[in-house]
Amino acid sequence: MNSNTLALPANISPQARPAFYWTIADMLVLARCQLKRLRRNPVDLVIAALQPIVLLVLFRYFVGGAIAVAGTSYVNYLVAGFLVIALLLGSGATGTGLAEDLQRGLVDRFRSLPMAKSAVLTGRILADLLRSSLIILVVWAVGLLIGFRPAGTVLDWAAALGLLLLASLLFSWFAALLGSTLPSVEAVQAASLTAIFLLMFLSNAYVPTSTMPGWLRAFAEHQPVSVIISAVRGLLLNQPDAAATWQAIAWCVGLLVVIIPLAVRAYGRRTAQAA
Amino acid sequence: MKSNTLALPARVKPQTRPTLYWTLADMFVLAKRQLVRMQRSPVDLVIWTLQPVLILVLIRCVFGGAIAVAGTSYVNYLVTGFLVIAVLLGSGPTGVGMATDIKRGLVDRFRSLPMARSAVLTGRALSDLLRSILIALVTLVVGLLIGFRPAGTVLEWVAALGLLSLGSLLFIWLSALLGLVLKSAEAVVGAVVIYSYLLMFTSNAMAPTSAMPTWARAFAEHQPVTLLISAVRGLLLNQPDAQAAWQALAWCVGLLVILIPLTIWAYGHRTVRAT
Repeated sequence: MNSNTLALPANISPQARPAFYWTIADMLVLARCQLKRLRRNPVDLVIAALQPIVLLVLFRYFVGGAIAVAGTSYVNYLVAGFLVIALLLGSGATGTGLAEDLQRGLVDRFRSLPMAKSAVLTGRILADLLRSSLIILVVWAVGLLIGFRPAGTVLDWAAALGLLLLASLLFSWFAALLGSTLPSVEAVQAASLTAIFLLMFLSNAYVPTSTMPGWLRAFAEHQPVSVIISAVRGLLLNQPDAAATWQAIAWCVGLLVVIIPLAVRAYGRRTAQAA
Repeated sequence: MKSNTLALPARVKPQTRPTLYWTLADMFVLAKRQLVRMQRSPVDLVIWTLQPVLILVLIRCVFGGAIAVAGTSYVNYLVTGFLVIAVLLGSGPTGVGMATDIKRGLVDRFRSLPMARSAVLTGRALSDLLRSILIALVTLVVGLLIGFRPAGTVLEWVAALGLLSLGSLLFIWLSALLGLVLKSAEAVVGAVVIYSYLLMFTSNAMAPTSAMPTWARAFAEHQPVTLLISAVRGLLLNQPDAQAAWQALAWCVGLLVILIPLTIWAYGHRTVRAT
């Protein structure tokens, strides 16, 4: 007997759920995949954690003594800013990781599966948020060991954590944009290193902007990393800076609104091209 | 007619000269080869030269206003320190080049030639010394542009150049040793970056040691990079520091006496195994 229709067993047919359900479910699956990769490469994780710690200790003990800051001790000033810098340093891995996946064809293999296309980006960024929480914890602990004494209420700390995670989101999406725009892993690495290095040093993370020459000060005071640092610092040292906090939120939300569609478009183009 | 002896034409016979002559002559040949290679890949040279210059300008602008030094302006303090940092960072390519040459089999090809085996090391040390001096010169010119105003007599300048060359040799042999011990060029780059930056941050290149906590100060004041910087700084700013100069000299000579035989041993070890 001949039949043109192939009867599928009932349990293979995709469950009828709204697309939104699958977007979220696939994101969670890929986030878990990322976290597993992180766990399987403990050396990468240790190096990623060591980098900010070494910088922190060097500035605290070898350079910091010569730098005077107003209103608090240098170690308080430094550690509060370094929570943001550590997230910035950590985000470099997002871009290079994505570029590697694209280059090695992992993303192409995902595309042959019945899954939400967005999950590759969103899953990675969700995993990054968890990694960022870990980095915040490590920097906080090392900070306490080297003399960081935060002030402020629990509410202030919660607000600071929220702001840090928002900043992490911004850095991750920016890295994802670089990762899906630039053609090779090396190019992504070079571009993100340069961007991270400039944003990190041309900010108020290490020295107050008031001591900088005018042209540099104008940039250093208003660039997003400095504004976020001012806000976090104000919240953790109980010197709340409402203007900086609103500006930081505005920077993060405003940039995310621009960067997310750009990254999604670049990623879509990249994967369409690869096919 | 048959003969068991093959008569060599007279001019193939190696010229009879003392071994020392050939050791030096072969060193010059390989140094020249290195210099030609540098000319042919100007991008590498520019990148390695830019690195210390960019950091110098960045620190001058970002930290210049916040760090106070006694007895001179911060730019004078920083530029004199960065002449030493320039030769420290400039020694990176030595190890990278060693590792690459061995990996690619170039050294094996040299071994099949009637030449002094030491020339591979000494020739590279000589050519790289010239490159380091060039990098220091570029740093000096950039320093003059950003406000460095040296003092000191011609004799003091000559002494400073001598100390810089000696320090440069020390860093070059250290880099060469790493290039021989570590297997891959990437590993050498990683190691060189780590120790260069650690030595830079824990020295008095950016901030005076007097502002450091006791334990940090104890290390910083006695490590060779600090002593070299103190000595060069004293000579170029006409505030000679005889004690630092002698200690720097002792460090350089003492470490070279250990490093050179170690490197030669590592080289013999590595090239024998490679066959």
